[in-house]
Amino acid sequence: MLAAMTEPRSPRQTMELIARETRLRDAPVPLGLGERTAAPDRWLLHGGEFLLRTASGFGFHYQPGAGIAVERPDGADPAEEALWIKGSVYAAVASINGLVPLHASAVAHAGHVFAFTGPAGMGKSTLAAGLARHGLPLFCDDTLLLDLADPARIVGLPGHKRLKLTAEALALTGAIAEAEVGADTAKFYARPAAGECTEPLALALLVFLEDGEEPRWEDLRGAARFARLEDDHYTQALYLAAQRPDRAELFALRARIAGQLPMARLVRPRSAEGFAASLDLAAERIRGWSIEQQGAGV
Amino acid sequence: MKGLLRKVPGKLSETAIDDEIVVMSLDSGDFFSLTGTGRSTWLLIDGSRDRAALIAALATEYAADAALIAPEIEAFLDELGAAGLIESG
Repeated sequence: MLAAMTEPRSPRQTMELIARETRLRDAPVPLGLGERTAAPDRWLLHGGEFLLRTASGFGFHYQPGAGIAVERPDGADPAEEALWIKGSVYAAVASINGLVPLHASAVAHAGHVFAFTGPAGMGKSTLAAGLARHGLPLFCDDTLLLDLADPARIVGLPGHKRLKLTAEALALTGAIAEAEVGADTAKFYARPAAGECTEPLALALLVFLEDGEEPRWEDLRGAARFARLEDDHYTQALYLAAQRPDRAELFALRARIAGQLPMARLVRPRSAEGFAASLDLAAERIRGWSIEQQGAGV
Repeated sequence: MKGLLRKVPGKLSETAIDDEIVVMSLDSGDFFSLTGTGRSTWLLIDGSRDRAALIAALATEYAADAALIAPEIEAFLDELGAAGLIESG
């Protein structure tokens, strides 16, 4: 007897699924999940559901197939609500539905994604936005969702968050300020100067940003790539809580990402000159990658 | 034949990345990155060789004197055994 073959979910179908699952509705939000009560600003994940109650009085509750129930406090700040929904809530919904969120900003080039990751404040958004000066459109800001449904490649889904930059980063990158983010962030929503990519694309490269004296690029090979994914900075707590992989499953996930995704370090000083040099270096490597691929007939 | 070396089923996960092999003990969560002779040794642990045969195979692969490389290989095998990754039977 022939077994039925199931096609993996396409990235487009995944995007449609996440769009459906992140629909908002005004509805009561429970105080806890299972036997646990939600502490302020601490999320709970239980039985495939997600709950977040904020210290400011918002409540968000996701149930698969039912979207996100939202409760608002009196005088709710829409700017704060947007930050929660596009932040932890969206990442939780994505994780519950099998996507892997990566703390990264990315650009698109030659039909592929080039992502930059690092701890908070390392300059991921500024670098990705600044690559517009080299004609590279933004792919995502702050969170990159990885779709692993196709075993042959790792696909990135285009950004669901608006680009947010400080006033200093706006000047460095040439991005156009659109509105203040509010919620005491001292940032502006901004439009990247070279536009944004809205199509899901295969990942080509993951770059780890680091501070250093001189701008320097170093390809990561072998186990060093695996070890990078072990680093606490990049641990995806929501994904781990949602999927609860055991050691072998987590190993397999990291082995797949390390095996399929080339990685590099970009070391640079935190100065305007260092920033310009790091942009040149990153743009040169990204364009060099596509030339290599053409040479290899890919 | 006794003393054949093999990986302990269900006790480890492994993956090859470029020219390295990463092995994790599922009991402890400890990682081993294997390159060079460590990688070659690991690839030869397939249940068909005892320690002497494995050392002989490595000596052939690296055109080395078996007696000279034996102490280092023995120590490495002891380390893998202590980590619960290999056994002989």
